[in-house]
Order: sequence, then C-alpha cells, then structure tokens
Amino acid sequence: MNKAITRVFVVGVVLFLALIVNLTYLQVVAADRLAARPENKRQLAKELRIRRGAILSYDGVVLAKSVRRSGFYHRTYPEGSLAPQLVGYDSVRYGRSGLEKQMNEVLLGRAPELGVRSWLDQLLGRRPTGADVVTTLSAEVQRVAQQALIGKRGAIVALDPATGALLADASSPTYDQRGLEDEWAELTVAEDAPLLNRVTQGLYAPGSSFKVVTAAAALEEGVVTPEAQFVDTGTFVIYGGKVTNYGDAVYGPHDFETALTQSINTTFAKVGDKLGRGRLVRKMRAFGFWKVPPLDLPPGSVVASGRYDGEELLSPEAKMDPLAVAWAACGQERVLATPLQMALVAAAVANGGEIMVPYVVEEVRTRDGRVVDEAKPSRWSTAMDPQTALTLNEMMRRVVTSGTGTGAAIEGVEVAGKTGTAERGDSTNLAWFIGFAPASDPEVAVAVVVEDTLATGGAEAAPLAAKVMRAALAAGRRP
Amino acid sequence: MSRRTTELLYLVLAGAVSTMAYVSVYAGRFHEIDRRSILYGLVFVVIFLVLHVVVRIYLPQADPYLLPVTALLAAIGLTEIFRIKPSLALLQGQWLIVGALLFALTVVIVRDHVRLDRYRYLIGVLGLALLVFPIVAGTTVNGAKLWIRAFGMSIQPSEFAKIAIVVFLAGYLDDKKVLLSVPTRHVLGVPVPAAKYFGPLVLMGGLALVMLVFMKDFGMSLLFMAVFVALLYMATDRIVYVAAGGGLFAAAAALAVWLVPHVGDRFSIWLDPWAKADTTGYQLLQSLFTIADGGLLGAGFGRGFLLYADRQPVVPDLQTDFIFAAIANEIGLLGGVAVVLCFLLFFWRGMRIATQAPDGFSKLLAGGLAAAFGLQTFIILGGVTRLIPLTGLTLPFVSYGGSSITANLILLALLLMVSHRTNVVRAGTEVERRRLAELG
Repeated sequence: MNKAITRVFVVGVVLFLALIVNLTYLQVVAADRLAARPENKRQLAKELRIRRGAILSYDGVVLAKSVRRSGFYHRTYPEGSLAPQLVGYDSVRYGRSGLEKQMNEVLLGRAPELGVRSWLDQLLGRRPTGADVVTTLSAEVQRVAQQALIGKRGAIVALDPATGALLADASSPTYDQRGLEDEWAELTVAEDAPLLNRVTQGLYAPGSSFKVVTAAAALEEGVVTPEAQFVDTGTFVIYGGKVTNYGDAVYGPHDFETALTQSINTTFAKVGDKLGRGRLVRKMRAFGFWKVPPLDLPPGSVVASGRYDGEELLSPEAKMDPLAVAWAACGQERVLATPLQMALVAAAVANGGEIMVPYVVEEVRTRDGRVVDEAKPSRWSTAMDPQTALTLNEMMRRVVTSGTGTGAAIEGVEVAGKTGTAERGDSTNLAWFIGFAPASDPEVAVAVVVEDTLATGGAEAAPLAAKVMRAALAAGRRP
Repeated sequence: MSRRTTELLYLVLAGAVSTMAYVSVYAGRFHEIDRRSILYGLVFVVIFLVLHVVVRIYLPQADPYLLPVTALLAAIGLTEIFRIKPSLALLQGQWLIVGALLFALTVVIVRDHVRLDRYRYLIGVLGLALLVFPIVAGTTVNGAKLWIRAFGMSIQPSEFAKIAIVVFLAGYLDDKKVLLSVPTRHVLGVPVPAAKYFGPLVLMGGLALVMLVFMKDFGMSLLFMAVFVALLYMATDRIVYVAAGGGLFAAAAALAVWLVPHVGDRFSIWLDPWAKADTTGYQLLQSLFTIADGGLLGAGFGRGFLLYADRQPVVPDLQTDFIFAAIANEIGLLGGVAVVLCFLLFFWRGMRIATQAPDGFSKLLAGGLAAAFGLQTFIILGGVTRLIPLTGLTLPFVSYGGSSITANLILLALLLMVSHRTNVVRAGTEVERRRLAELG
C-alpha cells in the first residue's frame, strides 16, 4: 500500500512542479508578450490612476484634461469636439489616437525629458504627474474652420508658412470624444468616417490646385514665362487621348498667367508635356510628395501624397505615358494629395520656396510650469527658388483678384491662391482652394477641400478659405 | 520541543506574516481604514489559537505543520478577499468561525476517525445524497448546477460530499482490497477481479458521469473521478485500475465536450482563448494578463492593479475561483510559488500521514483526503493558469466561499486525527494509548 501511496505522492509533486514551471513561464518568460497583446487593457486602466496632463490650444483653451473621481482620473474634453481627430481620444476600452497617443508618455509624466523619478518615489509607489501639452492650434481659427464645414464633408487646414505651426485642423464630419465609448460601434462603421482626420489621412485628387506645382516646375526650368503665349481650342490631343477644360470651356489666345488664373487644362497639359515625367515628378518630390509630412502624430495618422494605384502608393519612378503626364500636370490621373500636403504647397510659395516642418506641439510644460520642451521651427524641404516663388505669388494673387478664386478675397488684405475642381465622374465635384494671406507678407496658408459638391472650387471652397484666413489674421501673428 | 509547541511557533510566524499582509493592504488603501478591518486581524489570530488549544487537548500527537500552513493560506485568502471587496471579507471571516466550530465539533465528537468506519455506508449514502441534491433543488450558477440555496445562503454540497465519499471509499476499499487485486479471470489477457466487487466502483464512475452531464460540473466530476482512481490504486496497488479509470474518464470527457455545450466551450477556450477574447475567453485571458502583470515580485499586497475605476475586479470571479490570479499579481512569481509550495506542504504532510498510518483504513483515509486536497488545488490552479482546461473549483482555504472553507477545515480535522492515532500507536505514552483504545 505504501508503495502506491508514495507513487501517488510523486505524481502529485510532478503536477505541482508543472504548476510552478507554468507560473514562471507566465510571469517571466511570456509576461512582456502578454502585456503587449491588444486584448490586454490593463496598462491603459492602470494609467487611470495617474493625473494625465492637459492638452491646450496655443491661446490657452483646454482641449483635454483629467479630473479626479474616487481615486481615478477621467478624461474630459471641455470643448466637446474641437479638433477631435487631431487631439484624439483616450479610452480604456478603445485605446488612444491622435495627440493623446503620440504624447502619451509626456501626458503620463513618464517621458525621460521630464526628469528621472527618484528610487524613493518608485519604492513608495508614488505616481508620476502628467505634463501639459500646449499645441500650436488657435481655438478661434479652429472653431471658424469647423463651423465652415458644418453640413459638408471635407477638410480645412491652416498653418503658419513661416514656421510650419498648424493653426487649425478641421475634418468633417466630426465627432465628440465625450460620447466616443457609447457611439463607438456607429463611429467605426460610419461610411463618412468621422474618426478619420481628413487633413492628414484623406487622399484626394488635387485637381487644378496642383497646377501650382506644375507651374513652379515649368517656371523654374525655363519651360515657360508668365507672359508665354498659348492658344486654347478646348482640346489638347496627345498620345491617342485628349485633355479638355472644365465645363468644356474654350479660351482662345492667352498667356501662361491667364492659364493659371482661369485654370486652363489644355495649356497645363502642353506645359506638362514639355516638362516631361522626370522634371514634374522631381518637382513634386521637392514639394514633399512621396514623403510623410513629419507632423507629430502617431504612425499611420499622416499619409504621404503622390501617385496611387488604389490604396498603394506608386513609386516615383513608375512609368507614365505622355497622356498621363499631361493629365497629371492638371492634378488629375493618379495624383492624390492630402489637404495638409496641398497647404504645404501654398506655404512653399508664401515662404519664398521653403517648406517648414509642419508641427502641432508648441511646448511641453510640467505641472509646476517648467517648460521642458519647446518647438524649434526648421526647414523640411526647398520646393523652388525664391524668384520662382515670388513670380508664382504674384500670379496667384491674380487668381483671387480676377481669376477663378475671387471668392477667397478679403477686404483690405491681399490674398493669393489657386482653386481646384476635380470631377468625380458622377457629376459631383471635389472643390479645392489653396492659398495664403497677406500675399506680400504671409501669416497664414490654407487648404480647403469639400467633397461631394455640385459647385466649383471657386464657388464652394474659396469663401471658406477666406473665412478661415480672416480669423487667422484677426488672431494676430504669433511671436 | 513537543509537536504542539512547534505548531504554536509556526502559528505565531503565520500570524506575523498575515499581519504584514493586512498592514500592506491597509497602506495601499489607507483612506478606507476602519475599525472593522482591525477586527479581522484579531478575530483571525484568536480563531487559530482556539483551534490550536482544541488540538492540544484532543489530538496532542497530531502533525504540527498542517494547522499553521492552513492558517497562512486562510490569512492570504482573507487578505486578498478584503483587498478585492472588504464587505466579503467580513462574511468570509464569519464562515471561518463557522468552519472553526465545525472543526472543533468534528474533533470533539469523532475523537478517532476509526469510529467513522462503523457508519461507512451511512456516510456513503449521505455523500451521495449531498451530491445529487443540487440536481433536484439546485440553482444554476455560471452554467453549472452545483449550488443549493438555504436560509439565504448558497451552499455547495459537493465540497462536503467529497469528504464523505473519501471516508466511505477508504473503508470499502480497505475491506475489499484483497478481493479487488486478485484476478478471477482474464479478459483479453488482462487479469480482472470478480464482477460483484465492481458494483460500487461502477456506481462511482456513473456518479462522476451524472455530475458531468446533469450538473455540468466538470471540475468536481474530474476531482471525484481522479480521487476515486487514486484511492483504488492506493488500495490495490494495481495500475490497471488507473488505466481503466483514466480511460473511462477520458471517454466520458470527450463525450461531454461533444455533447454538453458548457463543457465543450471550456475546452475550446483552453485551446484558443484568443479567438473569443471578448466573450467566453475573456475571463481566462484576463486571468493570464493579471498573473503576467505580477512579474517576479509583484507590487505587494494591496498595491497590484486588481480593480477598475468602478471597483469591479479585473477578472470576473476574482475572489472565488480566480483568487490565485490576484495573489500572483500582487506578490509576483516569488509569492505565487510560495503559495503553491504551501499547498504542496499540506499535500506532503497528508501523504506522509498516510504512509505512516498503522492500518489500511487510516492510510486510505489520509491518502484520499490528501489526494483530494492536492488534486483540487492542481485543477483550479492549472485552470486559471491555462495549464489545463478551466473548470470551476475553489482554491482550498483561500477562495471566498463558506462551503469550501468549512469543508476543508473538516478535512484538516480528519487528517490531524489520523496523524494523532499514528503517532500514539507508534510512540505514544501508555495513557494516550489507553485513551485511544477506550474510544474504539
């Protein structure tokens, strides 16, 4: 009997050892892997016990903050839905997005630049205090931009061309972070994608607003001058196909500047043909196409502009036949751009050909008011030489004074811009306006895109741009 | 040093460890300290001192390690329950008092376990009745029908039935062990004992099946079958019973996985909890996440992350079946292994008592009880750590639950009795031997 009892005991010991081995596996070997699983929300929930820092606009409006309730902090968004796609959400259930995600370590007070916590704090389990993030956004400009888009689908972005600071990032339809957890199911499947930040993630055919890029390439390469003469017959036949004007208009004899102000496709097709694929693509790359603008947002939140085949970004070297080049010069064919990229095109002209690195975090401030991190504007890309920028600047002023973009005019301020109307084949248009003001000493550059409209860029988008630019100018230049 | 002095020494040690655990939990949530919580600590120490005195008077030669290790496990359980939901700790404290009373009553009334063998069949029928009762009058909890509600309390009779059936089987198998191990004929070359002795054994196997199918209690069914096979093996020394019992249960389990959705679910969750991370796999995954989060050392009692902002535990049923996840989280791998070793210590002392016991009934009783204790521990710990499919069982002495703690304290009392008798028979004083003889 004792032999059997001993055997049963040995089996028991083996089972207990298996428990210990398995426990070691769980708590040591697999611990990190389990912690990183998306199903594991423990880290998020734990962080509720840390006083998360606030996210503020440049003018001091609180966009997100945490309030303490029975030992835990809850995230609130006092302004409701002010730039919700950019600011992002912070949800135990659904994770984080936007700045809430990008600046998480800072907001939780754990980022190394905030200083190392003492071993005593760690031993006693004292929790860190989150630092505040001051953004470059202007609450007023943001509000005007969002109001301009009410009832429409589209995006408006405004930035300071001299620094790259983002003033407004409006994407419509929008949502309210306060109702996110309740409406998550609808928000994620909604066909009009309210969670999407159209400014940085929306890829649109830029249409004629792209002609600024073509013009920059052609002027700089000496292919044309503003005074160069063209004759439009309504059609430009090339490589077995043809390029036509919007609304089948025929313009007759005109110079290159008029081609820009009246947005004449056939002339830009001719210019594009003369430029050729290589020079056009090289200029696009100088403007930032094929690069992800380094805006301080999480990976995937900002996408590159360029030529696309479906969802896939084509290589800059991808083959194009002359017809494709001609249409691409008019911002059609497979060229897709984000509103941010098109705002950077306008900003390049405004800033003497230089594109500054776009940014949205102005500074990081600890709770006791110490500024630990401050944005330092720097150059991202040189899009063209200053002379070409100046020439284009003057041509774009005429778009607003006497061309297709008169809707963008602001009383007492000289505005420069370019409209775009991309036809979608189902009789609806994509209405664009990119521009800047004041034209002689620009403080603000904008890009406006409105989806599913029957109107043109000049009629639909230009007036919205005027509103936003007026608000930005009223807010004043920042130091 | 006498056995009882050793016991007292270790009890004091266990008391000190528990006090530190309590203090740590208070410190972790000091803004909630109240007089009641101090009371828990005091009541706890007093309960085990009383049990010590009872053992000192009635079972002076009993094993000195079982009571302290029980105290330590109960203290860890109570601390963790208080940590998760203070109001439940008060209830559990009350159950501990009830359990202590039942422990004392068992010791005082039974005095010597050998006397139980006289009521073998009565106890066997009682065990059966306790098992079957929930099928008739039970309420369904978590898909399994294993609770009865009485006087506003939920009682899980199978915890008590476990002990009664071990007592019955120990007596029955001790009687029939010779007959069971002598083959009368061969089937397919395998020696098989006479059929009539199989009756109660087939009944036992059938019982496990009934529990599985009608009560959907996979855990208890597994435990009963395993304890039964272990006892059969210990009694007869014949591995063929282990193979037959194992095969029978494997077949039954396979059938249940296929036929009973509740059991099938548990099996598929075990294989792949990620596939249903938001629904049926949620609980197991949260358990794994909580355990993994403890790391090597854990954050300390009262400092782990076990409750959401709304005070809901991070794992459903954290205070009962999943209490080990909370413990492993708060005191890490080191603490978790220490707790496992405490259970192993209990199991070892139980099996040791079995090997040293002077007679067959005592051996089988101690061996059966220790095996039941060890297997129950393994089944639930293996379940919450995904070593084996998760089946609902309580962790002895640690989980929240009145039936579990009272039944296991009775189990402890019986083990101590066997131990006392063993030591008296082997090396007791003349007086002690006479007293024991008088009881018989």
